[in-house]
Amino acid sequence: MRLSVLAQTTGTFLLYFSGAFAAPLGVAVLYREWTDALGFLGAGLLSAAVGWLCARGRSPVNGVTRVEGLAIVSAAWVLIAASAALPYLVSGLGPIDAMFESMSGLTTTGATVIRDFTAHGHGLFFWRSLTQWFGGMGVIALFVAVLPKLGIAGRQLFFAEAPGPVDEKLTPQIRKTAGALWAVYAGLTVLQFVALLATGMPVFDSACHALTTLAAGGFSPHPSSVAGYQNPAAEWVITAFMFVAGANFALHYRALRGEWRAFLHDEEFRAYVAIVGVSVLLLMVFLRADLVGPVERVRVSAFQVLSILTTTGFASADFQLWNEQAKMVLLALMFIGGCAGSAAGGPKIVRQLLIARYTLNEVRRTLHPRAVLPVKLGGRVVPEEIMRGVLVFFLFYLLVFAVSTLVVSALGADLLTAITASIACLGNIGPGFNAVGPMASFADLHPVSRVVLTAAMWVGRLEILTVLAVLHPDAWRVLRR
Amino acid sequence: MRIIIIGGGEIGFALASQLARDHSVSIIDSVVAVGERFDAVDVAFVRGSGTSAEALGRAGVATTDLLIACTGLDEINMVACAVARRLGAARTICFVSREDFAGSDSSAEAVQTHFGIERIIWPEAQLAEEIERIIRSPGAIDAETFAEGRIQLLEFRLPASSRLIGSPLAALRLPPGALIVAVKRSDTIEIPRGDTHLLADDKIFVMGVPIAVAEIAPQVHAGREGRAAQLVTIIGGGDVGYRLAQRLDTGGIDLRVIERDRTRGELLASSLRHALVLHGDGTDLELLESEAIGRSDVLVSVIDNDERNLLASLLGRQLGVARLITRVSRPANLRLFERVGIDVALSARGAAVNALVHEIQGGRARLLAVLEEGQATIVEITVPAGFSPRALMDMKAPAHSIVGAILRGTEVIVPRGADQIRAQDRLLVFAAADAVARVRNYFGSA
Repeated sequence: MRLSVLAQTTGTFLLYFSGAFAAPLGVAVLYREWTDALGFLGAGLLSAAVGWLCARGRSPVNGVTRVEGLAIVSAAWVLIAASAALPYLVSGLGPIDAMFESMSGLTTTGATVIRDFTAHGHGLFFWRSLTQWFGGMGVIALFVAVLPKLGIAGRQLFFAEAPGPVDEKLTPQIRKTAGALWAVYAGLTVLQFVALLATGMPVFDSACHALTTLAAGGFSPHPSSVAGYQNPAAEWVITAFMFVAGANFALHYRALRGEWRAFLHDEEFRAYVAIVGVSVLLLMVFLRADLVGPVERVRVSAFQVLSILTTTGFASADFQLWNEQAKMVLLALMFIGGCAGSAAGGPKIVRQLLIARYTLNEVRRTLHPRAVLPVKLGGRVVPEEIMRGVLVFFLFYLLVFAVSTLVVSALGADLLTAITASIACLGNIGPGFNAVGPMASFADLHPVSRVVLTAAMWVGRLEILTVLAVLHPDAWRVLRR
Repeated sequence: MRIIIIGGGEIGFALASQLARDHSVSIIDSVVAVGERFDAVDVAFVRGSGTSAEALGRAGVATTDLLIACTGLDEINMVACAVARRLGAARTICFVSREDFAGSDSSAEAVQTHFGIERIIWPEAQLAEEIERIIRSPGAIDAETFAEGRIQLLEFRLPASSRLIGSPLAALRLPPGALIVAVKRSDTIEIPRGDTHLLADDKIFVMGVPIAVAEIAPQVHAGREGRAAQLVTIIGGGDVGYRLAQRLDTGGIDLRVIERDRTRGELLASSLRHALVLHGDGTDLELLESEAIGRSDVLVSVIDNDERNLLASLLGRQLGVARLITRVSRPANLRLFERVGIDVALSARGAAVNALVHEIQGGRARLLAVLEEGQATIVEITVPAGFSPRALMDMKAPAHSIVGAILRGTEVIVPRGADQIRAQDRLLVFAAADAVARVRNYFGSA
């Protein structure tokens, strides 16, 4: 691994990212929040300076090795998160909390350590939402789309960051693929913003929610999340766009080009619809005593199922108060996640589908020891390497989950809090149960727990193996030469 | 007729030896040793490549009536046809062994036109289709369909327990719409009469509408041999096995394919939806036993090796398989296989060669099927316009032939003696090999 390449590329990313501070700066100025405005200005200038220093005077990159690609993506995410944390520091959060909130934003987790929402200005809440929007489709993917000089290197970076095991390219050039996905993403965001305005939600809140729904993020400027607005129409709009955010954006892109049938032929999408349908029905049954009227039952159930499954993390009701059966449904959904190639986190439906088929095949193999039983998806055989990758991913996923749970509970949290806090951060969902419930804050956890959970969000967003590969000694061996 | 055959392999040799009697045949092959094999046959041997204009010129391509390309390589065959057509060959026939060029879609047709090929023959696919027809006809050892499936012909071998044995044909209660058109006893084919008694080990040919013909099976076989196949095992996932598996893989039949090569097995498993692909050897008794292959209604053995096919089939019989269908590569082995107890022995190349030879010899009558290695055929004859209607029993039809079905517009008649034949009728005639010419002349002159 060449450190110069690492420094130059991540530096360039940081330099470009510093431009993003202009948006919250504008909002802060608009609302006359001068301290915050200065904070954004300072954060922007500092990021730009650091980025420029890293990228300065080095010859342009010609090709990036595999390890370098993974390292660039892993490091860029930390660096950008640190940069994005600066405004929180200015606004009064401690370093650990600022990093937690920033990572929670960029990884579209939506877990928050902010207790008192009145202590912060509009600019900061807009920044919180904006970081989620950048993280939703992937910061690196955005850079790949807009930075022409990344060239071939963009390919490595794009796939190191891409959610899900299937590397589908919409166009032969990776730059155009990234551009197309971002265009669809941005277009849908605008559409949702308009739809939310139409339901009577204020302009600022509509913008924030549109930015965090499509990203499957879950930050809300309201302390009680979506429940705080008491606006059923807005809940329906958000439900619909969460569903869109949880599906593969490659399918949206193809649908926009007239290939509507792509949805029907996609096995993962069909599984997605089935999981949503069954879960909503289960919730409706379990919550029949709490919710009055069929319409409300459907609305509340569908909202919460999609919010958890797509790892958005909004709450239209305080599900901490729900009965155990209903909570169990939500907990199960936390381990599934959205579709590959979507804005959602979690282990992804396609992986669960593949693991289920692999397991069934093994059962069948005990009956027919000599049978040739390939795992198929969409009528095509899943190559052995990908299948192995999926299994290893899931094993590591559970391992990281277990370690995180262990740490959080050892540091004083109750078991359900520890379990849900870990899966909610690792899966980039946001809220959990008990002490980290939808109306609570992660600030009550032990500081070390918050550091561990911050790392879990990072590892979970980059799908574990990207980070693990960089941590492996082999990746550093070359460095010593 | 002047015929050029490119490729002196098994197909080329079989074609040449049958065609050389009546036609002037030239063989083109680049291997000298192949030429020596043709010494016993009255043909001209031209040494050279089938795709070279020079070699084709020496074989007299400019004045040739028919060129048959049957080397082992599809690409060579196609290019040879294209070149020959340019150089003046009147018609070209191309043998292929892969799906690339013989698919049913329009692109394959475009390729065919582009290369100037009149007909593509794909023996393995034909064999797979034939095996499928036999599997789907319970108890039958051969099955053909005609007139878009409205008429079916089945061949059965009568077991000693059959209900059809004992009484004269006239006393048998056969379903209306089905007709026993011929009986083969000790290698001779006879057209049965009302007083004919059927014996055990006779082969009978039944023709008629599919529903009626299907009712014959339980009368031939009392046990499970007469019932529709539910569990089918295919040994060998090569060209034939793969295609057959694809055709049977509709979900209605419990299908198993045993393939020795791991990579090939993976290919099979990837494209078959329902079938269970097993990696192993078809002659591995332990595998056959552990997978309960003996419960199969049909065991199809289509390995590319006669000895192993025979071994696998006989193991299957030992384990209790009801029907055995086996591929034979060397035509000489066909009868041997049937003698040792294989129910149906089929040769891919043999069937293709027979069909082609009959077509070349047959001239104007439309040949629909070749049965019993060329001993009998089904031909279609259109009754001439001037023909005055008369009842079948009043006609003195040529010996060793029988009208099996009359197609009149959309109507299908399985005839009895009193039925009339009219002008413009299409007749499906079962004719022993020696009777084909007479049948044609009979209607030609009438």
